[in-house]
Amino acid sequence: MASERPLLTITPGASTPDEAPSPRPPAASQLPPAQPEPPLRPDRLAFSVEVPDPFCPSRRGDGPDPSASSQREREDDGDGGESRAVTIGDPLTSEAFPGNSIRTAKYSVLTFLPRNLFEQFRRLSYIYFLVITVLNQLPQVAVFGRGASVLPLAFVLFVTAVKDAYEDFRRHRSDRQENNRLASVLVPGTDSEFQPKKWKKIRVGDVVRMASSETLPADMVLLATSDPSGVAHVQTVNLDGETNLKTRYAKQETQVRFSQNGSIGGVLHCERPNRNIYGFQANLEIDDNRVSLGPSNIVLRGCELKNTTWAIGVVVYAGKETKVMLNNSGAPSKRSRLETQLNRETVILSIMLIGMCTTASVLAGIWVLNHRGELEFTQFFREKDYTTGKNYNYYGVGMQIFITFLMAVIVYQVIIPISLYISMELVRLGQAYFMGADKDLYDESSRSKFQCRALNINEDLGQIRYVFSDKTGTLTENKMEFQCTSIHGVDYSCGKDTDRYSVVVGDHLWTPKMAVKIDPQLVKLLRNGGTNKEAKLVLEFFIALAACNTIVPLVLNTRDHKQKLIDYQGESPDEQALAYAAASYGIVLVERTSGYIVIDVLGDRQRFDILGLHEFDSDRKRMSVIVGCPDQTVKLYVKDKLQNGVPEAIESLRQADIKVWILTGDKQETAISIGYSYGTSLVYILETELQEELFELATQCSVVLCCRVAPLQKAGIVALIKNRTDDMTLAIGDGANDVSMIQMADVGVGISGQEGRQAVMASDFSMGQFRFLVPLLYVLYTAFTLTTAITEWSSLLYTVLYTSLPTIVIGILDKDLSKATVLAYPKLYGSGQRDEKYNVNMFVLNMLEALWQSLVVFYIPYFAYKQSTIDISSLGDLWALAPVIVVNIQLAMDIIRWNWIIHAFVWGTVSATTICLFVIDSIWVLPGYG
Amino acid sequence: MSGSNAAAGTSNGGSGDAGGAARRNRMPKYSKFTQQELPACKPILTPKWVVSVFFLVGVIFVPIGVVSLLAARDVVEIVDRYDEACVPGNMTENKLAYIQNSTISKTAQGLSRYVKSRNDAQLRDAKKANQTSACEPERTTADGKPIVPCGLIAWSLFNDTYSFTRGNENLTVDKKDISWKSDREHKFGKDVFPSNFQNGSLIGGAKLNPDIPLSDQEDLIVWMRTAALPTFRKLYGRIYVDLKENDTITVNLLNNYNTYSFGGKKKLVLSTATWLGGKNSFLGYAYLSVEIDVLCIGFTCKLQDLV
Repeated sequence: MASERPLLTITPGASTPDEAPSPRPPAASQLPPAQPEPPLRPDRLAFSVEVPDPFCPSRRGDGPDPSASSQREREDDGDGGESRAVTIGDPLTSEAFPGNSIRTAKYSVLTFLPRNLFEQFRRLSYIYFLVITVLNQLPQVAVFGRGASVLPLAFVLFVTAVKDAYEDFRRHRSDRQENNRLASVLVPGTDSEFQPKKWKKIRVGDVVRMASSETLPADMVLLATSDPSGVAHVQTVNLDGETNLKTRYAKQETQVRFSQNGSIGGVLHCERPNRNIYGFQANLEIDDNRVSLGPSNIVLRGCELKNTTWAIGVVVYAGKETKVMLNNSGAPSKRSRLETQLNRETVILSIMLIGMCTTASVLAGIWVLNHRGELEFTQFFREKDYTTGKNYNYYGVGMQIFITFLMAVIVYQVIIPISLYISMELVRLGQAYFMGADKDLYDESSRSKFQCRALNINEDLGQIRYVFSDKTGTLTENKMEFQCTSIHGVDYSCGKDTDRYSVVVGDHLWTPKMAVKIDPQLVKLLRNGGTNKEAKLVLEFFIALAACNTIVPLVLNTRDHKQKLIDYQGESPDEQALAYAAASYGIVLVERTSGYIVIDVLGDRQRFDILGLHEFDSDRKRMSVIVGCPDQTVKLYVKDKLQNGVPEAIESLRQADIKVWILTGDKQETAISIGYSYGTSLVYILETELQEELFELATQCSVVLCCRVAPLQKAGIVALIKNRTDDMTLAIGDGANDVSMIQMADVGVGISGQEGRQAVMASDFSMGQFRFLVPLLYVLYTAFTLTTAITEWSSLLYTVLYTSLPTIVIGILDKDLSKATVLAYPKLYGSGQRDEKYNVNMFVLNMLEALWQSLVVFYIPYFAYKQSTIDISSLGDLWALAPVIVVNIQLAMDIIRWNWIIHAFVWGTVSATTICLFVIDSIWVLPGYG
Repeated sequence: MSGSNAAAGTSNGGSGDAGGAARRNRMPKYSKFTQQELPACKPILTPKWVVSVFFLVGVIFVPIGVVSLLAARDVVEIVDRYDEACVPGNMTENKLAYIQNSTISKTAQGLSRYVKSRNDAQLRDAKKANQTSACEPERTTADGKPIVPCGLIAWSLFNDTYSFTRGNENLTVDKKDISWKSDREHKFGKDVFPSNFQNGSLIGGAKLNPDIPLSDQEDLIVWMRTAALPTFRKLYGRIYVDLKENDTITVNLLNNYNTYSFGGKKKLVLSTATWLGGKNSFLGYAYLSVEIDVLCIGFTCKLQDLV
């Protein structure tokens, strides 16, 4: 081929085009006329599920949303001014379109401080603490030391900022890596001079040459490929999560023109950038001809070119306009429900606080008014500073009331303890550690342990009502195995021994990558050079298995030079399974081009010319291939292999009244067969036009299956439930196509399975297998008891501070307590029992209990020491110690399982606080010394 | 929270098996701690258990309550308010007596502008006499000399005085060791002498002898240990003379301290000393009531359990 295009210069770094002497490609006329351009799985384009698109404001409305496909039509039918024109090979005319650099980082060096602070202060309570801190800086109002009051808030802000900065630094780094990757791009103005160019410099209109296994830098329309018929194989694992190869085509017009001229000009009109991965509409003006382009002509950013030596395409969407970036809806910061509740309770508590402070200031005002004339002489007030003649911190009655109010705010501020947030963080950190360390959540085969990627929603795991699951590879392992077969009415069950059959090619030994259990009887039948009818049928059956598919064999090198592995890449795992099965029995598919296939039949290489091919579709439920040898049709019975324990997990979830929705982009048949395998589950294929109906019907069911769902529709369904109910949702998936869904749900779980690690990156938790979900959910029900304890404790502290104890005692006290609560949790975590929801009633009840406890803690020492000479610091120590004991006993009552760590910490806290009080009192610089 | 992004992920997509062998084993290490399998007991609150705890608590509280009550009953305490009518009538006492004065229900000793108006460094160290921060409005004299001890607390030092006679016999009031030993030794310096104290135009209370170091000014030390509650008692001194029943004790007091300005009350308290501190039967009653409550609940539970 290279000889025919001498102008093509090979640029360093780029791999050379395949120069293997392949036979001259058949002319277009030789191709099967019926299918010069097989449409790329046209069934993919039909969407039957109607869901609101939460990301598209124009589609928000009360009425039923139009289907995605009709929307696309509408867009296309709309004014032509909304389409974009791209001149091939001339990026200068497309300057207006965004470049190809991407940016996922949130901050830059300059914006980090203000933006990060802004985001942190979206937490209501932080604003509260800020106000308190600022108030405390006013000299008239200051109750505590100035520095001391700044410290806690500053510490919390600092820790969070460091964490955010580190995360953003990693994002920056990956952005930079991504943007600086190289692709070979046609130098504008030249015919076929390709030069390496950084991804970020690539513009719309650039012509890019891709080599095999390269990742595509932008969305491109294919112009030509190394395959004479214009076929290119791409792996879209990062887009829709499917590992198999998909075929894309360059238009014959461009392909031919490229092979003749070595360059292509023309103008391309395409639709505006949109999120639809499976849709693309454009037309190409070339040589005054209009060629229409469809989804099978576009390759998307993030795909990998496979099994195609090279391909040339023109960039139509770059950077943030690429479909993968548009589908990456950005990680909305998730808040746990607990945190939302906490925010609400912060408001309630603030109102209480204002009430308390108003009371205090009004009482103070009354006192000041009554003693107005005497203030000057009262020893304990002393209005004036007589040395200067000025008033000493006295600004009139009104101001006095106001200042009293502010001071009361500071004194009572502890009603909302900042340490609550610190201890919550620490508790979550601890939980994450234990989740990661849990052997039960470790997946042997993929060597992946449980990862907690977002700390702030651990608690929500205990409140899930809806589970949205991706089918592909989540429920199934995406691996199929050939189990048994029935050939002409004779059943052959699978044998036990696995045996690899190898093919000798030249001096190399080619072995299929996957071994399959084989039935010795069948092998015998085949090897004995069957002359009888049965053996012949079996042979033909296996040849059909090897031939009748869209599998592309890839030859991989191994460490041993003589050994090569054949990896079958195909559109669906069932095809792969069958091809491997055939290979194990000695019928090895060795090579496939668009024109012929080479099959090694028991050591004898045979070439079959493909005369016609009818791909699998769900109506015929079969696939046919017409080859140079006899015509074969095969009907397949292969059951998708469910992941270990998936039915049990789903059953268990159902018993817990958790609703399971399975959203899949896969074929209906697979979905239904999975649905049936749960036994009693109700299968409902969504075909309704009205989301209202969908919602009502679907909520009645405990298990719902949705098929043919695009990534954003998945997110849409999740959003539907989330908006209409108060229930918590959890989304679980493993592919990049689940990313939006995972981000939309209250809790996202990524499975680090076969389909890349995209979902894991976007998720809040990641784990090895679906079944791990169950222990995860149950075990976390208990996270709430913690907060109840902390809330109480906050109220108790209020009492302590009510008596205006030295701040330092509080500081130590609260440190001890948070430690205790943090480490008290393993039992909470491990107990695995359900706890009632932490709701408003509980909150009120807790507050009342706390009020009672604080009254006891305050008044028992008060009355006991009422008529004694006790001084403020001694009584203060008592008041400080009492709540610690009360809180720990309270905590002890909530603890279900006691182990030595909990014993150590609960009782240790009490003694540690006592010791601390002694220490503080024996340091002579402190006021409590004595 | 994702560290990477959609597009970046593409770089590592694909070949899953190649890196498999190279990946280190990430199997979590087994330990009883990480797997949360530490031996644990799981106490279950069975009725029997609860009832026994109730009874146990009840039984323990009985002697404590009774002993507290008896001890409180043994304390002889005479309280008389004198700021209205000055000197009270007759008092009978026996044994050793403590004299306490209980000032004022309406003081704002807890008021922060008052409590914070002191400087501990100055009290401790003669070299730090100039440290008068936080002492407003009693920091310095009009000409800028530091006041020792500075601050409102010291300035408002209590200055009523009492003397006691039985018949013609003077009862010596021992004013030694009425303050905390640690205060004398560590908080108030032996070489710190009062200066410029109570020299301003407004006199707040007692004056101090400038020749006696602060560590020996025990009235000041007692006063500076601020009270926790608005009504408080301060130790004035001890009488080491056995007082008998029907003895008549006459108290001569100087009503110097001004509590009329804020409506405060002043009381003189004569009391015997016991381990319990003062005449306070609250603790005894508290123990007894808790004990009765607990026993009642216990019996109710027991009955319910039986029925």
